[in-house]
Amino acid sequence: MNNQNPINQFLDRLSRKKGTASLISSLTAIGIGLVIGLIILLITNPEESIAGFFTMLSGGFNDGTRSFGNVFYIATPIIMTGLAVGFAFKTGLFNIGASGQFIVGAYVAVLIGVKLPVLGGFQWVVGIFAAMIAGAIWGAIPGLLKAFLNVHEVIASIMMNYIGMFMVNYLIKQTVLNVYTNRSLPVAVTANIPKMGLTTIFPGSSINGGLLIAILFVILMYIILEKTTFGYELKACGHNRFAAKYAGINETRSIVLSMAIAGMLAGVGGALFYLSGAGVYIEVVDVMAAQGFTGISVSLLGMSNPIGILFSGIFIAWLQIGGFYMQRYSFVPEFIQIITAIIIYCSAASLLIRNYMELKQLKKDEKLSNIAQSDTADIVNGKKEGGKN
Amino acid sequence: MDYIIEMLNIRKEFPGIVANDDITLQIRKTEIHALLGENGAGKSTLMSVLFGLYKPEAGSIKLRGKEVNISDPKTASRLGIGMVHQHFKLVEDFTVLENITLGAETVKNGFLKMDEARKKVMALSNRYKLYIDPDAKVSSITVGMQQRVEILKMLYRDNEILIFDEPTAVLTPQEIDELMGIMRELSKEGKSLIFITHKLEEIKKVADRVTVLRRGKGIGTYNVKDVTKEFLSEMMVGRKVQFTVDKKDIPPKEVIFEVKNLSMKTKGTTRNALNNISFKVRKNEIVCIAGIDGNGQSELVYALTGLKHFDEGHILVNGEDWTKKSIRYRNSHGMSHIPEDRHKYGLVLEYSMAYNLILQSYFMERFQKYSFLKKKNIYSYSDSLIGKFDIRSGQGSQTVTRSMSGGNQQKVILAREIDKNPSIMIAVQPARGLDVGATEFIHKQLVAQRDAGKGVLLISLELEEVMNLSDRILVIYEGELVGELDPKKVTIQELGLYMAGAKRDEVKA
Amino acid sequence: MEMLYLLLRQTMFFSIPLLIVALGGMFSERSGVTNIALEGIMVMGGFAGIYFINQLQSGMSGQLLLLLAIVIAVAGGVIFSLLHGYASINLKADQVISGTALNMFAPAFVIYLARMIQPSGIANVSFKNTFLISKVPVLGDIPVIGDIFFKNTYITTFVGFFILIVSAVVLYKTRFGMRLRACGEHPQAADSVGINVYKMRYIGVMISGALAGLGGLVLTIPISTEFKGAVNGYGFLALAVLIFGQWKPMRILWASLFFGFMQTISAAYSAIPFLLNLNIPSEFFKMTPYIATLIVLAFSSKSSKAPKAVGQPYDQGAR
Repeated sequence: MNNQNPINQFLDRLSRKKGTASLISSLTAIGIGLVIGLIILLITNPEESIAGFFTMLSGGFNDGTRSFGNVFYIATPIIMTGLAVGFAFKTGLFNIGASGQFIVGAYVAVLIGVKLPVLGGFQWVVGIFAAMIAGAIWGAIPGLLKAFLNVHEVIASIMMNYIGMFMVNYLIKQTVLNVYTNRSLPVAVTANIPKMGLTTIFPGSSINGGLLIAILFVILMYIILEKTTFGYELKACGHNRFAAKYAGINETRSIVLSMAIAGMLAGVGGALFYLSGAGVYIEVVDVMAAQGFTGISVSLLGMSNPIGILFSGIFIAWLQIGGFYMQRYSFVPEFIQIITAIIIYCSAASLLIRNYMELKQLKKDEKLSNIAQSDTADIVNGKKEGGKN
Repeated sequence: MDYIIEMLNIRKEFPGIVANDDITLQIRKTEIHALLGENGAGKSTLMSVLFGLYKPEAGSIKLRGKEVNISDPKTASRLGIGMVHQHFKLVEDFTVLENITLGAETVKNGFLKMDEARKKVMALSNRYKLYIDPDAKVSSITVGMQQRVEILKMLYRDNEILIFDEPTAVLTPQEIDELMGIMRELSKEGKSLIFITHKLEEIKKVADRVTVLRRGKGIGTYNVKDVTKEFLSEMMVGRKVQFTVDKKDIPPKEVIFEVKNLSMKTKGTTRNALNNISFKVRKNEIVCIAGIDGNGQSELVYALTGLKHFDEGHILVNGEDWTKKSIRYRNSHGMSHIPEDRHKYGLVLEYSMAYNLILQSYFMERFQKYSFLKKKNIYSYSDSLIGKFDIRSGQGSQTVTRSMSGGNQQKVILAREIDKNPSIMIAVQPARGLDVGATEFIHKQLVAQRDAGKGVLLISLELEEVMNLSDRILVIYEGELVGELDPKKVTIQELGLYMAGAKRDEVKA
Repeated sequence: MEMLYLLLRQTMFFSIPLLIVALGGMFSERSGVTNIALEGIMVMGGFAGIYFINQLQSGMSGQLLLLLAIVIAVAGGVIFSLLHGYASINLKADQVISGTALNMFAPAFVIYLARMIQPSGIANVSFKNTFLISKVPVLGDIPVIGDIFFKNTYITTFVGFFILIVSAVVLYKTRFGMRLRACGEHPQAADSVGINVYKMRYIGVMISGALAGLGGLVLTIPISTEFKGAVNGYGFLALAVLIFGQWKPMRILWASLFFGFMQTISAAYSAIPFLLNLNIPSEFFKMTPYIATLIVLAFSSKSSKAPKAVGQPYDQGAR
């Protein structure tokens, strides 16, 4: 109870920050997820379990600068899809369609990368811009359906994932198919995003300037959400659409714009991945882009906060690299997806931890301030009533 | 003396507060026992303990002298305790009969067998003159009938101890009289009643004894015959209370707000939610729309504030046609709106107090530049309003609104709406759920607005509020204005007749 | 004519699993719990059932094996759905997020498990289809109806219709159904008359788990010979069926027949000369069910009759 102690004061201030509670609940979820993962390993393959588990945790340390750099290479697209999910979430929308938005963005970028070497040094820039537009359109469709026809965005965006996947398969066959490998043709050298000096830091890896572009978007989204009237409007819609309407905010516009921006972010993710110069091509198969679904994990773990998404994207990429090296033992990379799913499950539940922390804070404040007791009864009631709007 | 139920030294804590502090409540057989207290005094908590919804930290409950452990509502029901909740607990999509029998259905081999239940319900309905239509959907019946359904629910379960939680809030004076009759009838038939209220008039009318709570503590139990209303109110609030608001006589000036022939259709039905409504509000005038809940008040407010589109008619503010103006235009050109549901419409509970204070003005030049929020200005503006309206909270402007008390949340809305310096202030149930102190504050502010030359349109279900505050009363019934009354001349009884649709005049703007 | 019968039978193969899973979703949502995890539960149930068949098919075959596999698939679905129930009922977590986590978990887990426990180390679980009923005695001789329902069919088709009837009766004619609906419409009211809302919601979620698990198996049997750890969005299509069916059993039947027909077109267009002659690229046929879903939802979502309290965690303390 010694509040004069500077350390206590600092801890008190820290615990009041919303971010602290989020961080603690995310870390708890990660901890629980890893423990359950270890248990699964112990049950299914006791001999190699410990070695495999630590290989996974070692992630980017497994193969020096190469694997370390590749963590960032893997992180780049999933930071973007994570942003795509998180940004929409701030407006109260669950954008499960990042996969479709990602792949249409990727296709448009590859198309320009293959067909327009005439653009020279600007080719990769034009590719990214085109991907932005394609992704935005793909995201805007469920947004429009939601805003005007009340179609549930989760189902609409799932359907858009399938439609996007099949359409891109068709379009690749029509335009940029490598018939021998059944995947897209390689893009021109000028379509690859410049390395921007990053390979000198992490030699041997596939890291490239895309990482810096992703970070740029992280900062941009943070500024939009936290510093601008537009972000103020979007978040108001997300928290309480009725109050937003009361305030004269155009909810329809907010929903459509939010989904379009989300789609744009995922589309950029597609461009950053396929213009990375790492020798990846769009396969013509009926399988959805995994980066879109990983983006959901990234966003949820990052509590929809752009900065949080940056770190959770790197964390999940770290695990994925670890999963790659786990194949040295008899483990399959799907194991990482299992762990991620468990972490998300725990993080959904760990909102409890956050609420508990808030409640404790409330209790503390009550003791300090001398609000009339009859009024404090309303706090309890207010807290409950306002639970779900 | 025989007590049917006793709650002895009950203590119930919530994080941060003690809602019930050593409260004792003893109910005699067949009496009507009033439980009096302000909002937040701990009445509901105490009853929830009795009902098994909360577990008390200390204290015991005795039924007919024997200690019992009530762990859930089912146990309470088995012991013969039933409750009519303030907010009815009825499934709208179910019929009356289904609602009455829910949880105590008659079945045969697991299949519903409603005939027996129907017989029993209809017998009870006739015996207590609680008229209902058993096959009507609850969503389509009146509030009065819904309350009868709730009472029948208790009788159907053969409950002996009947709790009425603020049962009169939604009724007309005539319906209230009727309810009092039913309550007396029930006690005559051997039932014991607990009557939760904050209305002294009703206690004097119907109750035998009264227990007063204040701020979570039991103040005392009295024979109603032996005490005056003034005494009870002082016990309830803890100080002398002035029941009427000081209001100078100011003659109203020119018309500031005018509604002409406004109609709003209800989807899927031929009945209009609002039908040909016309009225005027002038400067220095508080006009009150009185009526029973659900007669079109919400729709009227939505139409006036732009939240809902209406089909016909015009709205004029200072002579300018506002019929087609956006919500934002109305917000920023002289219309203030204190919404009925402050959590749903009035506030973004996750936002800080400062952010809520700029909810309708964040886009104005003083708070943004090139669409970047000017945090410094926002916070200094917020700090100034906090001082002006005495808004209390844990961390000032930074406080997350959700963590504030109801009274202070309402002050945030009031501060925001008054500071806009509106021409017309629309206040809907502004004192709902607030204690006496906060209510007084809100009422004074509304009168001050009127004195300052604004027009105030007050929509209220509380007749006391209506009579005390208004300069002119308009009564709304089934979406139409059916009476224009002078609060100085009309009696509450007469007002009730208008509210129930039993009496009506032509109302012209 | 034979072509038409083929199409109709094919439609049944797709419609029945949709019907079963959507009815499962109905029980969950009617109790007040959004169940977006249907997809994942289908994967788990399908895997459990098919792996069971895979293990026992050397010594057993035919309808008995299938019926036992159904029990296993149901059990698998129920167990997995408990995770969703625990998160959304006890922990009051965001139900969409919890469902998404399960949807991510199931396919990865199933592939991981298949590779770990199958000696071959491959992800797919294969099975021999010994379950086709070429003709039901007597009934198969009825003209038209016999051709559609009682020839070249599976026992699962009848199971599906049986579930439909039972669901409708349970929901509207029993005490349990009435209480379940009350929990989804107004849990506070249900609680106030002594109904255990948590328990009812658990039961709702478990029924959805049972039926979705079954649906995973029923979907796989007629159209494939191996389980690949995925159900291709069928769980989500079932959700669309549920919305289009307005949470009512009979309407869900019509909706699932419609979606099943759409799926048939996308899967079997190459066998239909008329469609094949149109020279439309295969991708467009594959898109059909998903586009149809969007269009149908666009027309039917505005007047949604969703249970009022669906998706809202119930907190007994809050009143």
